[in-house]
Amino acid sequence: MGSTAKRWKRFAPLFLLMLPGLVYLIINNYLPMFGMIIAFKDINYTSGILGSDWIGFKNFEYLFKTSDAYIITRNTLLYNGLFIFINTIGAIGLAVLLNEIRKKFFQRFYQSIIVLPHLISMVIVSYLVFAILGSDTGLINKSILPLFGLDEVAWYSSKQYWPYILTIVNIWKGIGFLSVVYLASIISIDTEYYEAATLDGATRWQQIRTITIPIIMPVITMMTLLAIGRIFYSDFGLFYQVPMDSGVLSETTNVIDTYVYRALMNLGDIGMSSAAGVYQSIVGFVLVILSNYAVRKFSKENALF
Amino acid sequence: MKRKLNWIGAILAMMLLLAACSSNNGTNEAASPAGNGSNDSGEAEAPYELTVAYFTFGSVPQDQKLIEEELSKITKEKINATVKLLPISLSAWQNQVNLMLTSNEKLDLMVLMGSTYANQVAKGQLIALDELLAQSGTGILAALGPDYANATKINGQAYGVPTIRDLATSYGYLIRQDLVDKHALDLSQVKTLNDLEPILQTIKDNEPNMIPFVNGTGASPLTYYSTRDSLGDDMGVLLDNGQDLKVVNWFETEEYAAQLKQMRKWYQAGYISKDAVTVKESTSDILKGGKGAGNLATLKPGFDTQETRLTGKAITSVELLPSVAKTSTVTNIMWGIAKNSKNPEKAMQFLNLMYTDKDVVNLFDWGIEGKHYVKVSENIIDYPQGVDAASVGYSGMGWLFGNQFLSYIFKGDDENLWEKMKEFNNSAIKSKALGFTFDSTPVKTEFAAVSNVLTQYRIALECGALDPDKMLPEFIAKLKDAGIDKIIAEKQKQLDAWAAANGQ
Repeated sequence: MGSTAKRWKRFAPLFLLMLPGLVYLIINNYLPMFGMIIAFKDINYTSGILGSDWIGFKNFEYLFKTSDAYIITRNTLLYNGLFIFINTIGAIGLAVLLNEIRKKFFQRFYQSIIVLPHLISMVIVSYLVFAILGSDTGLINKSILPLFGLDEVAWYSSKQYWPYILTIVNIWKGIGFLSVVYLASIISIDTEYYEAATLDGATRWQQIRTITIPIIMPVITMMTLLAIGRIFYSDFGLFYQVPMDSGVLSETTNVIDTYVYRALMNLGDIGMSSAAGVYQSIVGFVLVILSNYAVRKFSKENALF
Repeated sequence: MKRKLNWIGAILAMMLLLAACSSNNGTNEAASPAGNGSNDSGEAEAPYELTVAYFTFGSVPQDQKLIEEELSKITKEKINATVKLLPISLSAWQNQVNLMLTSNEKLDLMVLMGSTYANQVAKGQLIALDELLAQSGTGILAALGPDYANATKINGQAYGVPTIRDLATSYGYLIRQDLVDKHALDLSQVKTLNDLEPILQTIKDNEPNMIPFVNGTGASPLTYYSTRDSLGDDMGVLLDNGQDLKVVNWFETEEYAAQLKQMRKWYQAGYISKDAVTVKESTSDILKGGKGAGNLATLKPGFDTQETRLTGKAITSVELLPSVAKTSTVTNIMWGIAKNSKNPEKAMQFLNLMYTDKDVVNLFDWGIEGKHYVKVSENIIDYPQGVDAASVGYSGMGWLFGNQFLSYIFKGDDENLWEKMKEFNNSAIKSKALGFTFDSTPVKTEFAAVSNVLTQYRIALECGALDPDKMLPEFIAKLKDAGIDKIIAEKQKQLDAWAAANGQ
């Protein structure tokens, strides 16, 4: 009995520190789940949420009314899948390279340069892209294409280029931050492994393959799993701001988030927005469970749960 | 020692958090006692605080608080109420108002926009006004006249009152006066959209850094040019300004196809900016920055001076289409009483003042006499000494606050502006569907899907950035796919019922 009280006393400050986070989580993440019922109701403000009529899946219909549902689901999954793949490989590569730099100053310098884009707001990024792609003043149309005697390209009304543009922007912006996460775990690897390997005559490449990658594998799995869990949530800024909200591009730039945003800016219907939110959450949830299940199959200790 | 610091840190963090949470409660409590006012009358009754929400462009004027105090002085005396003004920036307006209505925040009077009006009524966010109007809003009805007062009715009940301003609109091309003089442009020859071509060509040839035919953000050059009654949303329209009650698909008409062809030609000729699809500025900002020559716009008496003030460049305009009155031109700006209101009676009394009381209207429109304006003569005002448009502490939008015809006229404007405006309103071609408001709830799935298709194609097509020969058929097919025909059928049904009920 006495020891329990003692334990409580010892950990009380920790619990206290946990409290704000817990409160935040409950208020912000758990209480709103109640709002899921809005997706199945025809909301009338006078009768309130509970008093409004149940309408089944009617709010979901507009999502699947046209081929849009297919396009946005495809775009969301393909883009995010591609981003996860490229960013992970790229970030690990970068982290390994950064780790090889011996001069502290240069390591810090490159690291900062690479992380910098992560700190720039998407709105500003969109204008940087615009400065390059714009028709009247853009770098490519006014300076580069004329050099080769090529015609101007109306980037903002030609949808076929956007999968590449968005991928490049995403890598440029996101890769630095991810590589720092990996770098942190690479740095924490005991140097004795490498010393032993060097003594055995292992090349740099062999060291990376057999020491670095296996040791940071749990971090890679965790980051990837977390990313997969959010595969249905796209970077709104990237898909909305960077194409400058140009409707023509929607076939290659429209993802679930932007679709819902555009539809609701026009309609202001919370029933339909909740429906899209629920659709997004459920598919995201299923994906996390599935990918975690897959990881468990291969290596149990790397799974999240 | 270290342990103690940990504790203090944790407690401080908690306190910060709690403080942040509790600030909300404070305002709620403060608001509630005022709400009891409606139960009993008499001398001892505490003045009711009316919360009045409206949208603004740009920042809140620095003397906003003074206006609120002055207003409250008048209203305390006349209707035993005080006024709390709640200006919300237009970009956040829709979200914030939705939030206030949903969370039952204190809100009495609010501006309504035509585009969301029917939806708000369908969702039960507004109080029906007929009874209140008959009781304490007689001044409003008298000022509006029956035609325009009835234009806001949905299922026979009014839920909003249009502000009194230009209730009709005409369409035309506005252009910088200095360019007209410099290149000796003859605007008198311009009667149709086609006639603009030589003018645009002249500007294109002589002013290489200027866009001859400007469009603003979220709009195409054609957005402010209309020969149809859009019935609110362009999904099913009445041609020829609603002289015939047959709902048709505007995007399938030859007229639309011809307009698109012309825009495509102008885009390729360089009259329309190559970046038109992604433009992020308003037309007046583009003109102000010297990057544009002119654009299509909705005109009204006094328009040129208004634009001149807005752009800082002398503006002239030429009318291309005569003035028309449609439900959308009347209902685009209205006032309504939120269902949150604890005292709709008082809200209506205040609204009545906004349509009948010269002092109230001018406080809203121009600010405080002697401080924000001085009288030059009985009805003409000017800035006080040492104050100009940039440094004045308050200026309101005349067309927003009730009855603009009670507003003073600013020096430089036409002295007979309001007479001309009345004439403009009365002489306008009236759409046969004036007063009909479409309720999209029965087809809201289709409505959402069609809205999406519109945002995808419309602006790019109307800017000429897409080839209409190829893309217009695709656009139409997508619209049909999304169910525009169902919306049109529903609209026709509602319109027929409305027409039968109103003896058209």
